[in-house]
Amino acid sequence: MADVIKIVLAGEGGQGVQSIAEILAEAANEEGKSALYIPNFGVEQRGGVSIAYVQISDGHIGAPKFQKADILIPLSARAVKRTKQHAGKETVYIYDNSLVQEAEVNDNIVGLQYFDVTPPCPVSNTPNDDLPQDLISGEPKTCSFTKSGPGIDPADIPADVARVIPIPANDIAKDELHPRVFNIIILGAVIAATKVLPMESIKTALEVKLGEKFKSNPKLREMNFTALDRGYQLIKNAVRRG
Amino acid sequence: MADVSLKGEQRVFMTGNEVVAWAAVAAKVDIMYGYPITPQNEIMHYWTRLAPKYGKKFLQTEDEISAGFTMLGGVMTGRKAFTATAGPGNVLMQESAGMAEMMRLPAVFVIQQRGGPSTATVIYAQQETTLTAFGGNGEGHRLVYSTATHQELFDYTIKAFNSAWTYRFPTFVLGDGYQAKMRESLTIYEPEAKGVKLVQQQALVGENKPGKKFRHLRNTYNTEDELYEVVMANQREWDVMAKKVVEWSAEGCEDAEVVMVTHGVVSRAALSAYQQLRAKGKKAGFFRPITVRPFPDQQLADAVKGAKKVLVAESAYGQLLKMVKEALYGKNVELVPMLRPGIGITTEELIEEYNKL
Repeated sequence: MADVIKIVLAGEGGQGVQSIAEILAEAANEEGKSALYIPNFGVEQRGGVSIAYVQISDGHIGAPKFQKADILIPLSARAVKRTKQHAGKETVYIYDNSLVQEAEVNDNIVGLQYFDVTPPCPVSNTPNDDLPQDLISGEPKTCSFTKSGPGIDPADIPADVARVIPIPANDIAKDELHPRVFNIIILGAVIAATKVLPMESIKTALEVKLGEKFKSNPKLREMNFTALDRGYQLIKNAVRRG
Repeated sequence: MADVSLKGEQRVFMTGNEVVAWAAVAAKVDIMYGYPITPQNEIMHYWTRLAPKYGKKFLQTEDEISAGFTMLGGVMTGRKAFTATAGPGNVLMQESAGMAEMMRLPAVFVIQQRGGPSTATVIYAQQETTLTAFGGNGEGHRLVYSTATHQELFDYTIKAFNSAWTYRFPTFVLGDGYQAKMRESLTIYEPEAKGVKLVQQQALVGENKPGKKFRHLRNTYNTEDELYEVVMANQREWDVMAKKVVEWSAEGCEDAEVVMVTHGVVSRAALSAYQQLRAKGKKAGFFRPITVRPFPDQQLADAVKGAKKVLVAESAYGQLLKMVKEALYGKNVELVPMLRPGIGITTEELIEEYNKL
């Protein structure tokens, strides 16, 4: 009976949680491992939390969803509350401690429903206007969370977990790289925390997924790979510090 | 969608809906008839993208009643055809499924169960088990495969077309929203290169060649006796088929004290629970009907012979349980139900329930 690594990623619609879950699971599959990825989906309203469940194993994978995660990564205050039940004694809890404003749900978008795995961006009706258009073409669901705010309240973090690692991914993306690669920083962090996949396999998976865009804009590749390494080092450093 | 081909064997990673579309291509299906409903929409989406590449056709109808009946029309004229639906769409399609039973049409339905009753949720349930096995105003003369993994979704979708065209009873692939939307690894292949022979489709009505009798299929009978004869003949043929097509999976039942009975995606959790419980020295057993219609009655009765208890877990309120009760009628074994309508069952929850026994 092989071990199964269980990962929960949760965030606001537009944070790119589902994309990185998919890349992660695909990379595991390419490595010859069993992988299962399932998004939560439903008829949620704007402002809904997007959750992705990923399992990686060398053998049989059971039910598509699970109770306690080995690695739990909520990326917004709402996501922290929504994923409480997945935090257990052996869970490594990674959260974004950037001081960003949680998405506001404007009155005019309440009640608009989605029939897909990703809730629509809750920030505004024109979510991508602040981003360089050449970097986000074809990604209508991307949106940035750059407004300052209180961020996740550490008091909301479940106490009884194996380890809590806060990382300022949003701040790094916003200040040093680009808001667009926020989720890639998180992906790098997941790779460091799970230790089941080599970094190279993720880079290959990114090439497969974004190859066309990389070709027309090599800067994008550099930025993504830098983001990936930043995320990876954030966790490695945190673990080293103990 | 993934750019793959059916040449040889290919390991792929895709959603269950995409798997069904590829399996239909692999089974050399001619046409899909459909009407959109979550969570099966992407079967249609993927099929419409694949169809032009493989010379296949697609017809979107005005609703599920029409999707079911246009499929029957296609089948009668000798087209290998299928449809896919869920929830209330499955309810509407029972009318055409019933006609397929009466006229013995090899129609194939793919069902991705969602929460019920009515619109309920678009997410997941096993609440269409009774409906899919016994829907319609007849005797449930049909074949229902309940899949658990993407590999099975591929294999059994191909098999569904073969069984339908061999036995001429409507055939269902019973999946669910989880299987529809999740991605996992599987190997897709060209069936005939792997020794899986595809049953040839042929026209079931008409005959224009000189000297040939005109074939006509009846859906209406004039007298009670006439209908009785037809239904009983169908029943006898269904009984003969049942013995040949019934499928199940059993692990560790020989010395099990408690046998877990599940079907579909819940049996993934049960298999993991079984492995974990056995690793701890517990005498657990695993039994799963793969065909929920015909149900492996005798096989289940044999599997639980030595057991004290049977734990029946399902994402519905007693639909599988009813089938289990019928199979085990008169047997001296305690049934312990774990009934969770419209919600998933995890490995951890099953183990917790097991440990309470």
